[in-house]
Amino acid sequence: MSQTNTKYNDSIVKGFIISALVWGVASMSVGVLAAFQMVYPELNFTQYFSFGRIRPLHTNAAIFGFALSIIFATAYHLIQRLCRVRIWSDSLAKIHFVLYNLSIVLAAITLPLGLNQSKEYAELEWPIDLLIVVWFVIFIVNFFATIFTREEKQLYAAIWFYIASFVTVPILFIVNNLSVPVSLTKSYSIFSGVYDANIQWWYGHNAVAFVLTTPFLGLMYYYFPKHIKQPIYSHRLSIIHFWSLIFIYIWAGPHHLLNTPLPEWLQTTGVAFSVMLWMPSWGGMLNGFLTLTQAKEKIKTDAILKMMLVGITFYGMSTFEGPLLSIRAISALGHNTDWIVGHVHSGTLGWVGMMSFAAIYYLVPRMWNTNLYSEKLANVHFWTATLGILLYIVSMWVSGITEGSMWRAIDSKGFLQYPNWIQITEVLKPFRFARGVAGALYLSGVFVMIYNIIKTIRNADSGFQEVDLRVKEQGGNV
Amino acid sequence: MKLFDILLDWFSGFTDQWEKQGVKFTVYTTIAVLIGGIFELIPPFFISRTAVPIQGVKPFSPLELAGRDIYQKEGCNNCHTQMIRPFKWEVDRFDPSKSYGRDGYSKAGEFVYDHPFLWGSKRTGPDLAHESQIQPSYAWHKTHLINPRDTSPGSVMPAYPWLFEEKATLNVKEIIDHMRGLSKVGVPYTEEDYISAERELAAKTEGDALIAYLLKLGKDTAELSKSIQ
Repeated sequence: MSQTNTKYNDSIVKGFIISALVWGVASMSVGVLAAFQMVYPELNFTQYFSFGRIRPLHTNAAIFGFALSIIFATAYHLIQRLCRVRIWSDSLAKIHFVLYNLSIVLAAITLPLGLNQSKEYAELEWPIDLLIVVWFVIFIVNFFATIFTREEKQLYAAIWFYIASFVTVPILFIVNNLSVPVSLTKSYSIFSGVYDANIQWWYGHNAVAFVLTTPFLGLMYYYFPKHIKQPIYSHRLSIIHFWSLIFIYIWAGPHHLLNTPLPEWLQTTGVAFSVMLWMPSWGGMLNGFLTLTQAKEKIKTDAILKMMLVGITFYGMSTFEGPLLSIRAISALGHNTDWIVGHVHSGTLGWVGMMSFAAIYYLVPRMWNTNLYSEKLANVHFWTATLGILLYIVSMWVSGITEGSMWRAIDSKGFLQYPNWIQITEVLKPFRFARGVAGALYLSGVFVMIYNIIKTIRNADSGFQEVDLRVKEQGGNV
Repeated sequence: MKLFDILLDWFSGFTDQWEKQGVKFTVYTTIAVLIGGIFELIPPFFISRTAVPIQGVKPFSPLELAGRDIYQKEGCNNCHTQMIRPFKWEVDRFDPSKSYGRDGYSKAGEFVYDHPFLWGSKRTGPDLAHESQIQPSYAWHKTHLINPRDTSPGSVMPAYPWLFEEKATLNVKEIIDHMRGLSKVGVPYTEEDYISAERELAAKTEGDALIAYLLKLGKDTAELSKSIQ
């Protein structure tokens, strides 16, 4: 163990784990506040915490604060192990860490001030965008330099998914953020109207693909087999679903713009590819499940494995729901409603959240060289999170479908049955309240995890018990 | 199944090679991603019918533009859409005065000067694409923005009293800079517009501007539609 500690740079991994915890709590707390604001408008404290300003704060902190921190922590961890070399440059990694967190801090300051360019998941104004480009370049130089200096010939499947993410995100980010600055805090998109919408949702949908999906599949491909000490079920399956996933995902954006003035052929292409996407997505899910069948006796006792199981299940569910919602008739009902909010959160809370927690529980004992303080608390976290997600999506399904149905309800004379908007809002309030409770439940689980981790870290260097199983079982030849 | 196996053997013959060559793998991954992106993003710019400006759609006046900035600043687009879909129930709800004849839904040409577009993705409050034809009263909007519950009991919209406070008076120079920026991306502002801005913006608050913007939404197309009728 001591040998590997000196060979690899683990402090960068530790740094990103802590930044994930900080931004995770921040984003989810803001999310809970936003959820209750939609029932009790009095909770819009001052202009800085009114819903319109904190909603982008919630999404940015969750996607780019929490999820990206997890992605970087795992990327730095697994790339060194899978390439069997130390990260190419320690100082570049450190600069990346500092500038990255600086950009998230700036986001947390500027968004409540109302400085945003109004593009979903790309709200940050141009100076922060430039800062992001700087640290992203620093990161990918370091990441790819590590790959190119590797000592292991074969690039394992986990790395493919990270590579795909790190080449695609800059393309999406730069094109969608092209704008003309008019002052330090204000810019206008160079695209307008329909074109702007098309480019925004090409970006927006692929942020889901290449920030919230592919890196987490890579995470699954590494930590899942590592944890259960069994190889991934099928290498063949990973090949097909990787290449088809990245090829098809990029086309799916226009399903966000169905029944708008976007050209018809583009909408149809978006729908067709969205439906096709179901197959590669389930390829990943099946590879996960089939791998799990090799270790099913461990599910009962192991919180990490339970989290991965629920994570993969929600990946399967939300990638089934996605193509479903992209079908025109269903989009007509679900678009713009709470159903979509539920769909997104089944992916983020279920898939991204659970896989992230699993990775944290896997990494913390190993990085701080000690054992987890309490398996029991990890199980408590698992159950609060799972119940939280279920309550969240069920309340949003009911709310969204009710909402969509009430909008379109026509009476026997052909007039709108609910012409008064508030009438519909009132019906939805109990479900939206339940959503807030669900979010609070999920957040409380995160607090349990943080307590558990602080206790664990206090015990640092007491010696991590588990031995690398590949060494043990295969006679130390790896 | 046999055919599929042959195909898979053939394909993994290549990928097995790429997996050993980092550069090649990265390049092919990038190509796989670019194909769909290029196909979707480039052609719309060259298909002229994608966004034909509807005759009579005018750029935002300085005050309306200032209001649009406030709309973006407060994140109104997080709860209000500006996209009426071509369904009877949406047209009935968001074009109750039939200002747009039979076709009360949103058209591409209405958005040619929108940098960025503000269609939104969540309709917690009603759609605002044609708000000028639904609620044309300045006084109503002011009351509603200061406290939404005063005009609409049960509403969950935040209150925006600060928009009408004295410190929310507009900065004229800033808005002229914004107009000059927009002219660089194709909004046809003229020198006269910059000169008239000073007069139009004098002593106006952010709230006044926001209402001016709301009362512009859908106005041009409604006028066009009336002139045709």
